[in-house]
Amino acid sequence: MDTLRLYFKLIRISMQSRLQYRADFITGVIGVIVMNVVNLGLIGILVNRFVHLNGWTIWELVFLYCLWLLGHSIFSLFFWHIRTLDDYLVQGTFDQFLIRPISPFVQFLGREIQYYGFADVLFGVLGVSLAYANLGLQWDWTKWVFFILAIVSGTLIETTLTLMLACLAFWTGRSRRANSLLMQLNVMIQHYPVDIFGYTFRVIVTGLIPVAFMNYYPALMLLDKIDRSRDWWWLSYSSPVVALALVGITAGVWRLALTRYTSSGS
Amino acid sequence: MKIFWSFTRQAFHNTVIYRFEFWLRLVSAFLWMYSIQWVWRTLYTQRPGAFGVSLEQMVTYGVLGMVLETFLDVGPEWYMATQVRSGAIDTDLMKPLDFHVHMLARSTGEMLFSLGVISIPALLIGYTLFDLQLPPDVSTGLLFGISLVLGYLVLFHLGFLLGSLALVTLDIRSISWAYYSLVSFFAGQMVPLWLFPQFLRVLAEALPFKSVYYIPMSIYIGTFTGAAALQAIAFQAVWAVVLLLISRWAWSRVRARLVVQGG
Amino acid sequence: MVASPSATYPLAALSTIISMIHIEHLTKDYRRLVRKEGFLSSLRTLFSAEYTTIHAVNDITFHINEGELVGYIGPNGAGKSTTLKVLSGILVPTSGRVEVNGLVPHKDHNANARQIGAVFGQKTQLWWDVPVIESLRLLRDIYKVPEAQFKRNLSLFDDLLDLHEYQNTPVRQLSLGQRMRADMAAALLHNPRILFLDEPMIGVDVVAKDRLRTFIKEINRDQKVTVLFTTHDMGDIEKICSRIMIIDHGQIIYDGSLDQIRARYGTKRTLVVEFEGEVPDFEAPKAARVKSEGRKKWFAFNRFETSPSYLIAHISARFPIIDLTVEEPEIEEIVRTIYRGQAETSEAASP
Repeated sequence: MDTLRLYFKLIRISMQSRLQYRADFITGVIGVIVMNVVNLGLIGILVNRFVHLNGWTIWELVFLYCLWLLGHSIFSLFFWHIRTLDDYLVQGTFDQFLIRPISPFVQFLGREIQYYGFADVLFGVLGVSLAYANLGLQWDWTKWVFFILAIVSGTLIETTLTLMLACLAFWTGRSRRANSLLMQLNVMIQHYPVDIFGYTFRVIVTGLIPVAFMNYYPALMLLDKIDRSRDWWWLSYSSPVVALALVGITAGVWRLALTRYTSSGS
Repeated sequence: MKIFWSFTRQAFHNTVIYRFEFWLRLVSAFLWMYSIQWVWRTLYTQRPGAFGVSLEQMVTYGVLGMVLETFLDVGPEWYMATQVRSGAIDTDLMKPLDFHVHMLARSTGEMLFSLGVISIPALLIGYTLFDLQLPPDVSTGLLFGISLVLGYLVLFHLGFLLGSLALVTLDIRSISWAYYSLVSFFAGQMVPLWLFPQFLRVLAEALPFKSVYYIPMSIYIGTFTGAAALQAIAFQAVWAVVLLLISRWAWSRVRARLVVQGG
Repeated sequence: MVASPSATYPLAALSTIISMIHIEHLTKDYRRLVRKEGFLSSLRTLFSAEYTTIHAVNDITFHINEGELVGYIGPNGAGKSTTLKVLSGILVPTSGRVEVNGLVPHKDHNANARQIGAVFGQKTQLWWDVPVIESLRLLRDIYKVPEAQFKRNLSLFDDLLDLHEYQNTPVRQLSLGQRMRADMAAALLHNPRILFLDEPMIGVDVVAKDRLRTFIKEINRDQKVTVLFTTHDMGDIEKICSRIMIIDHGQIIYDGSLDQIRARYGTKRTLVVEFEGEVPDFEAPKAARVKSEGRKKWFAFNRFETSPSYLIAHISARFPIIDLTVEEPEIEEIVRTIYRGQAETSEAASP
């Protein structure tokens, strides 16, 4: 509880820092909106020509895209700076964390806040609402609860994966490329339903770097696209479990990384 | 020009130190090639006629786009932006080397390095694993080469203009995302222009971005041949020159402003 | 010639001597990637890597008692920062014993963190874009400083560091001198027993430096804060440190007071003589003429080989003198010769 209160105090000062740069806010929001519009535009062009993508209609694809976006937006609001862990190491900011009597992890998480996520939230909510209307969906309360769970799981999944990759910096000094790889996978599953790809890829984004649980599997459940005759149909409900498992693994990785850092001095 | 080679060497040493990065870049290229050719194959089974070209051509287009990206993801904009933020831009201004040439040398050095170390393996992967076709004849290959150089110059100057913006607004990170997605979109890197609906196609054909990917790749797969190819190359050349002139003009204005304000 | 460490520093009239910092046979190793020259060798590192072990700190031992103000000097890469990092709990020792006020830094991390404060010259610990006072408030919460103590410290910093002048300014708008003072305030906000200063005066102007030095001395004297101070500036050492430790290549090569260092190594003296008129160059017995400029000449001699009065008598007998000075070597020069291992000790040159 104490830690949580301190985290919020840290966030508060980060927000104060961020508010010093107001002009950036507008360009940032516009930039993010343009990017999302272009992305959906690409999907739109393809559907325009090919009517559907492996059985996914345009509004289903919009839903898929925006469901990912909602989970991602919370991540990018609070935890975007995780990717820059290598800078913290190089510039000595991380050492400052280690001198203080509170968890360096909390200090690191609370260090920065980004506003790009705002535009993503707006875009995501809008997109999901439009898709919901256009698909004529009617969710009962279980589906609504699962929807919220899916978003939260999405945030946790992206945060933990990003953090684990960022921890590479403790070993190799730089982690940007690895994070770009994660972002790349994210782009792929954000735009396209995972079933459009081959088996190996599906295994990778399900079992190895489980980003598919950010949107694809929950979407199957929320859009009633689950094919119960197939073997792994229960994966569609598994996002929260995957998220929790990742949290556990990441905690271990972080501890390992800290041990490494304090014993080798990088 | 010795400058070019020194930047290439510098890029080489910088990356070799982070050898993990090298492998990751290769994996990344592999993933892009993998994804694009899967998308096209799946779509082909859905509606073969909608492509406008054969499946082999479409796959080649897609995979080639990813190979090209491995060395076309350079640009002076980040260097310029970081120099401004750190204030080190002053030392660049003091150097006896023309800034524009300096940036060109730097970008080209990095580009050549990526070309040699990352793109060639990526090309091999594309060819052996993802059915990347080779150009049908030598003349096509040559035209492709010329077109590629011109496309690179167009890309470079677009980046230079973006970097110049950094000198004025100080932070281009947020703008850059919109910039990259727009460039990639209108350059037809993933989805070729002939698949665009009419209103978008007209717009895309008028803009210079198609010079970067669409034109060279269309020449490569053979949708632009003979006169059409030469016409396209002329388009590229015109834009390369125009953008070069605009860049130099923009830089002289920015530079004057920097000198007055003290950076 | 390496000096044998003399670790005893007499503290007057203290019934118990508390060892604040206790380091015994501390060793800290790093593994470093071996960089290869040449194209092919570089390419090979893409596939396999070779490491080498560097002993950043190699079997050092020293004790610092409460209330001492110790200067810690050495060339870059000698191991100063590594020592500080081990003491502050950032690094875990490879071997050896480390105790800070009875606590082992890497084991009792949070407890140790509460009793130490640190200022790093190159990097501020304050939040860059917000007013200083906001950073201080947050640090108060992090270190759980009681409100009364917080207010007391703020008013102390107002007195000694002029905090009220810049406390509402964001850190990025502060001058370097102000930033250093703010960092000092931040480091001492929670009343730590021990203060680590890692090159805090870099780039600070002379006036601000003086203020900071005064502040450090006062904190050390009034609040009995033990200070360990790394620096390259000998002025810092001469003005405020009572004891210095010299580290080079991971080993402590000198540990003792300034007076001792002068007594032991400061054997060289320079006699500066100004003559009545232009005088041709000449040599004096047991002295070397090191410089001639206008009517002045500089003679260097070893004070154990000859005395200034003997030299003066000899010179004045030859030419009329109108002014003379005897110069002591600067600490900087002495330290330099210690680095180079060329120090002549008073034992080596007995009269």
